[in-house]
Amino acid sequence: MSKIRAKEYQGRIDQALANPKLQDALHKFGDAFLIAREKAFSDYDFEALREEIASCKDEVAENRQQYLEQFITNAEAAGTTVYLAKTADDANAYIAKLAQDRGVKLVVKSKSMASEETHLNRALESAGIEALETDLGEWIIQLAGQRPSHMVMPAIHMFKEEVAELFSKVTGVEEPAEIAHLVQVAREQLRQGYLDADMGITGANIAVAETGGIALVTNEGNARLVSTLPKIHVALLGVEKIVPTIEDAATIIRTLPKNATGQLLTSYVTWIRGAVPCGDEEKELHLVLLDNGRSALAESPHCKDALRCIKCGACANVCPVYQTVGGHVFGHVYIGAIGIILTAFFHGLDKAAEIVRACIGCRACVTVCPSNIDLENIILSLRETIGHEEGIGLGKSIVFRKVMRNRKLFHSLIRAASLLQRPVTGGSRTIRHLPLFFSSLTEWRTLPAVAEKSLRDQWDKIPQRIEKPRYKVALFGGCANDFLYPELGIDLIKVMNKLAVEVSYPQKQNCCGVPALYSGDKETAVALAEQNVAAMLEDDPDFILTTCPTCTMALQRDFVEFLKDNPVWAAKAKRLAEITIDAAGFIVNQLGATEVFKGLSAPEKVTYHDSCHLKRGAGVWREPRELLTTSGRQLVEMDHADRCCGFGGSYSLTSHPDISKQILGDKVKDIENSGATCVAIDCPGCMLQLRGGLEKKEVDVRVKHTIELLAESLS
Amino acid sequence: MSQTALQKTFCAAAEAVGAEVTFVADVKAVVDYVKPLATGPVMIPQFASGERLGLATALKAGGVALSQSNLRQGAATASVGVTGANFAFAATGTVVLESTAEDIRLATTLPEHHVVLLDPSKILTDDLAAVPYLRTFHNNSPRNYLAYITGPSRTADIERVLTIGVHGPKRLHILLFSGLSNDPLEI
Repeated sequence: MSKIRAKEYQGRIDQALANPKLQDALHKFGDAFLIAREKAFSDYDFEALREEIASCKDEVAENRQQYLEQFITNAEAAGTTVYLAKTADDANAYIAKLAQDRGVKLVVKSKSMASEETHLNRALESAGIEALETDLGEWIIQLAGQRPSHMVMPAIHMFKEEVAELFSKVTGVEEPAEIAHLVQVAREQLRQGYLDADMGITGANIAVAETGGIALVTNEGNARLVSTLPKIHVALLGVEKIVPTIEDAATIIRTLPKNATGQLLTSYVTWIRGAVPCGDEEKELHLVLLDNGRSALAESPHCKDALRCIKCGACANVCPVYQTVGGHVFGHVYIGAIGIILTAFFHGLDKAAEIVRACIGCRACVTVCPSNIDLENIILSLRETIGHEEGIGLGKSIVFRKVMRNRKLFHSLIRAASLLQRPVTGGSRTIRHLPLFFSSLTEWRTLPAVAEKSLRDQWDKIPQRIEKPRYKVALFGGCANDFLYPELGIDLIKVMNKLAVEVSYPQKQNCCGVPALYSGDKETAVALAEQNVAAMLEDDPDFILTTCPTCTMALQRDFVEFLKDNPVWAAKAKRLAEITIDAAGFIVNQLGATEVFKGLSAPEKVTYHDSCHLKRGAGVWREPRELLTTSGRQLVEMDHADRCCGFGGSYSLTSHPDISKQILGDKVKDIENSGATCVAIDCPGCMLQLRGGLEKKEVDVRVKHTIELLAESLS
Repeated sequence: MSQTALQKTFCAAAEAVGAEVTFVADVKAVVDYVKPLATGPVMIPQFASGERLGLATALKAGGVALSQSNLRQGAATASVGVTGANFAFAATGTVVLESTAEDIRLATTLPEHHVVLLDPSKILTDDLAAVPYLRTFHNNSPRNYLAYITGPSRTADIERVLTIGVHGPKRLHILLFSGLSNDPLEI
């Protein structure tokens, strides 16, 4: 790991966190976006659309040579010159040489992320050619000498006062910081540029193999001017923009604006095919198709889905990390979750190595992705690659490889910790302050103490009274339930026994492996998967219950994926996945036993926080709400109920505690505003985070697992 | 959807994105509509339905200064561009212009006002219904420039505040004119 690089990255985080105005703007944007987006899709089937886009893009990726050839043949037949650029430098050199050969002095550009990717403006400048950005946002950041912080709204990080200052320098008079006025200034200032320029450069949102034409999806109208007035039109686009037919293009056009800005359609969709008339002559049209890592991405078995991206920017809009630090931290040229992946392939692993850790893994992006890309999964796989290339750090390496894989050693060390922590806990269940260099960890949230006796160590002494059990289930506790919150396991027994279910605790179970996986150590995660599959299936339970949704995802999804090519383990892992179910889902969907709890509780005001991996991993969010309301509690929804709490395991402890703190702050505010006296959750990680944050802020709201609340109902 | 329903949906969708929709009965109504907008020359490129209507002559007779030939030269000063439309989409309030002829592009990008004449019988349900026409355009000519226009030019690039009229027309006027044209392949 490069220390200098890491230090610079931390510097950028600190700088962003010191800008509350930016955070406020991005939060408001995220809220407004979701409302507009929902409205835009109200008459459409988003799931169907995204499946269509995904399969169309996959078809092209699998047969890319064929579609590329078809596109080029049709484009050339329409009088277009096509250049295939292997690298960013190739693309820049081609365009700069073309401009020089034609005696071009001024180029007008409309928005093109591909040109940001290749740093085309710099290349043109060194060839003595002036490049003028005409998209308002791009022009603003060009004047400021910055790079875009969002793919669709490049200057989203700037405020009208800053824009006024930049524009004043251009016009030489003091321009008032009034948005309508500033837009008018841009209109007037850039107008002459279109008329004077000898070359116009655009990007393209889509390239249609069937016709050899391109489509531009825009709002301002500048791309229409750029592609009309100058004699030469160059469109720079990634090869992944190719789709087979006009129908495929139409599907993207009906999805992209809705998912990017919540518009039914942008002001302009422009289809350009071939060299069209220009004055008394014919226009010269060049299409520069950029590879620059795209072929490598198409070949990558774990990452190739990222090529489906249609560059809507939604993954950033909904990302709690993006909303906290913005695109200049969470991105390189491309930003947000997709930016991490594209950066690795287009600009190199080194450029992606820091931001790949910035993802908290909440999967908010996955639910809104219009191309059905499992961004989180791809990011995890990149972490693994970087872990291989650069190492995951000596400390982690010892913990994961030497300690965690050795269950007895791992568990003995935790037991020892429960004794060693005495001086800081004073025997209490929470740690409010830590000494010395650990102190920053408890500045903004308390931490739970390791329980004196773990769940596994007291299991056999917990009485279970069922004469004829309906089911025999095994509990996969996970580390938090086992060592931090054993009382949750005891409550689970109480609830299950009431429902005539007997629960066992297989003693050989170990950590689910997610902490290792998230840190880029897949090898340890696979070793743990094998241990857990063997342990959990040993007594052939009817079901395996979980109280932690991150463990649930590991058992339901990751183990199957890790072991699918292993003849010894594949079938067992599949069996394990099939019988694994979260506790609330088990009660509601498997037992149909909601009514057992009917009216047993006082009408306490409870608000529900959706754990990321329960809602967006297991698809469970109705079930706990149903249980809580049926039990007699009054459910009051908080704002952003399904927004991440900022925990993310080691994310909040070691890798990004300062970002975690901010995200937790947002959540605490939403909980307070709900007016509830209790927040229900179904994840021990969220429990740790929320209890810690509420306690530190002295907010009198208790945090309870749904299972704990059901156990209360039975008391 | 019936033609009346399509028309209703179209008007609502177009107005929702800031287009101004008006019904006109004859060429005189068009002249009356355009005249007060014309603070500079009116750009009127050649287009089939306008030619049949004698639109340019009527505007000239109505005292409107026209920019008809060499639109590039007049581009900077023109205040209004007047065109027809091939067809429209009800779902999004979009007008579609086959804009391969450069004059059509100039008249619809540079002036502050774009006045577009549309026969309401050419309102289709949505963009998917247009795909066969798109294919016909491509078959008829390998080189073309097609434009979907939905409302006036807009931006939200400064503080996400929606602002109308950044580079393209600040106002889009759609004049619904029955009997103007029933051919989706012509403007």
